Amino acid sequence: MESFLAATSLVFTWEVMLIILAASVFGLFMGAIPGLTATMATALLVPVTFFMEPLPAIAAIVSATAMAIVAGDLPGALLRMPGTPASAVYTDEAYLMGKQGKVGVALGLNVVCSMIGGVIGVICLATLAPLIADFAIQFTSDEYFWLALLGLSCAILVSGGDPLKGAISMFAGLAISMVGMDSVSGQVRFTLGSYDLLAGISILPVLIGLFAISELIRRMPESKNTRAQVQACVKKPFTGVGSLLWKYKGGVVRGGVLGTLIGALPGAGADIASWISYAIARKFSRTPEKFGTGHPEGLISASSANNASLSGAYIPALVFGIPGDTVTAIIIGVLMTKGITPGPDVFVTEAPLVNAIFMVFIVANLLLLPLGFLAIKGARHILSVPSGVLFPLILVFCMVGAFAANNSMFDIWIMLAFGLLGFVMAENDFPVGPLILAVILGPIIESNFMRSIIKANGDLTAFVDRPIATVLAVAAVLIWGMIMLNGISAGRRKTSLQQS
Amino acid sequence: MRSNDKITGLVTVIFGVLVITNSRGLANLPQQEYGAGTFPAVIGGLLIAFGGLLVVRGLRSNAPWMIWTNEVPVKRFYLTLLAIVMAIVAYILLTPVFGFPVVATVLLSVLLYCFYRQNWTVSVITAAISAAVIWSVFGRLLQVPLELGILEKVIY
Repeated sequence: MESFLAATSLVFTWEVMLIILAASVFGLFMGAIPGLTATMATALLVPVTFFMEPLPAIAAIVSATAMAIVAGDLPGALLRMPGTPASAVYTDEAYLMGKQGKVGVALGLNVVCSMIGGVIGVICLATLAPLIADFAIQFTSDEYFWLALLGLSCAILVSGGDPLKGAISMFAGLAISMVGMDSVSGQVRFTLGSYDLLAGISILPVLIGLFAISELIRRMPESKNTRAQVQACVKKPFTGVGSLLWKYKGGVVRGGVLGTLIGALPGAGADIASWISYAIARKFSRTPEKFGTGHPEGLISASSANNASLSGAYIPALVFGIPGDTVTAIIIGVLMTKGITPGPDVFVTEAPLVNAIFMVFIVANLLLLPLGFLAIKGARHILSVPSGVLFPLILVFCMVGAFAANNSMFDIWIMLAFGLLGFVMAENDFPVGPLILAVILGPIIESNFMRSIIKANGDLTAFVDRPIATVLAVAAVLIWGMIMLNGISAGRRKTSLQQS
Repeated sequence: MRSNDKITGLVTVIFGVLVITNSRGLANLPQQEYGAGTFPAVIGGLLIAFGGLLVVRGLRSNAPWMIWTNEVPVKRFYLTLLAIVMAIVAYILLTPVFGFPVVATVLLSVLLYCFYRQNWTVSVITAAISAAVIWSVFGRLLQVPLELGILEKVIY
């Protein structure tokens, strides 16, 4: 109770509330512009959060991502262009509902289901995370080594695409994470004599480069000086939403729970949650033939799932310090810069902060309703900002953001290098997710590996001499087997496709 | 622009070799066979192995070495890429001399003129207002040391 009261006093301050509101508006704008993702919004927000206390920083990121996912539904329903990958699965459904004169219902359902899904996700997070943390408190460096490796391996498997390229992306990320001074021996590695690289490659310019600059390189050549033509103004967004929600209540709850569980898997973000939830809704539907014709059932389930997955991703992030997706990878980076290392101990040492994070989630999700309503009403204005104006402004914002982390021009070079790398990777189907997770998890994996090996006097069998470590090791080996098998079959598919 | 797996695989192998060769000189921990070079050597080896698999896959396929997969014409893409890279390089080199407000305004004016395709007056006014807002938020509010450059003498 004491911890709860302390958390309340942390959250309900003018500063935190204003930050949540401002970040939500920022997320709304970013999500509504097609091509600008929730991850990009987070990457651009991080330079600002560097100047905040831990809770307002997390509140800003949580609010911006939740709102960006919801706002991503606006261009989907109005222009048939998904604002974020998470809303791509039901874009056609929402647009076709609009064609039937139900655009207000479609967008209203998006907002309300996102809010409900988000709240279900927070309930799961607040219930499960402390229980898992209680169990995880007995973990040693052996378990953490396997767990981090397992997290990275899962990221390759579930991030979609070619597992072989996913694995290479992960190894490249691990190699990048080794630049700078080794935390165990203090030796300097891979700095090429540069003083700027002694402390390692700063995560912020890497994030901005990979997620913002690479996206600008891809999108800027297509930029237009014209405004998007939105057909009609949405008048009554929430009319008829209640009856549909009641009719498909099972889908809302299923989407919320499923989204949370999928979000908790490292590498599986909001987009995968919404795709799977939509597919399951179709499978269990009494009228599967109506899917794809402007039917709300799939939209309800997927909208609920994509927002719930945001909360789910915080379970491994808070309990083990292993990010569930790129956004939580950023959150871990932010917390570490503020001297807080996520892990089971955080639930004891920083209990008010953890409870405050849960509360921030609830507040941010509840705010989706009024802000979502305003966003729907003002959608025409948001969507009318020409990309020819927006992209140059984002470019300058990126440069200032990369500089702001360490007040170093060198970080802008890093940003540029990773922007080019991110573009080349995306063009050649190398997933960026495993790379960024590896950059963050690399030091954790290596330091736990070294700690265990020193403890065991170089005996490798010590890594599997505890029961939990053995289970995790077996799981990691199995996942790597699946990665190899998937890699071989993907290669064969590709070759046969090219030959045919 | 998509390359054949042969090329990306080869680049991965070279990267792996570089990681291993650069980790060779790192000393082990006292009385241990492991040290700062152990993990890089493992990662380098894995990069070589997986890169090799990609090369093998590339050799088996009959895909072209390079293929243009973008919807926009090649020339437009490269010009835009050049504009982005030049803008970033110019920002890094010129900001310490001329200061953020001047450099950001000039860069934004040129970029807006090129991409928004409006007249110079609209571009310069939009750029000046945007640079002032960014400088106020980061420079004043968040205390990021964005240099004033030549404006410092004018203002102070």
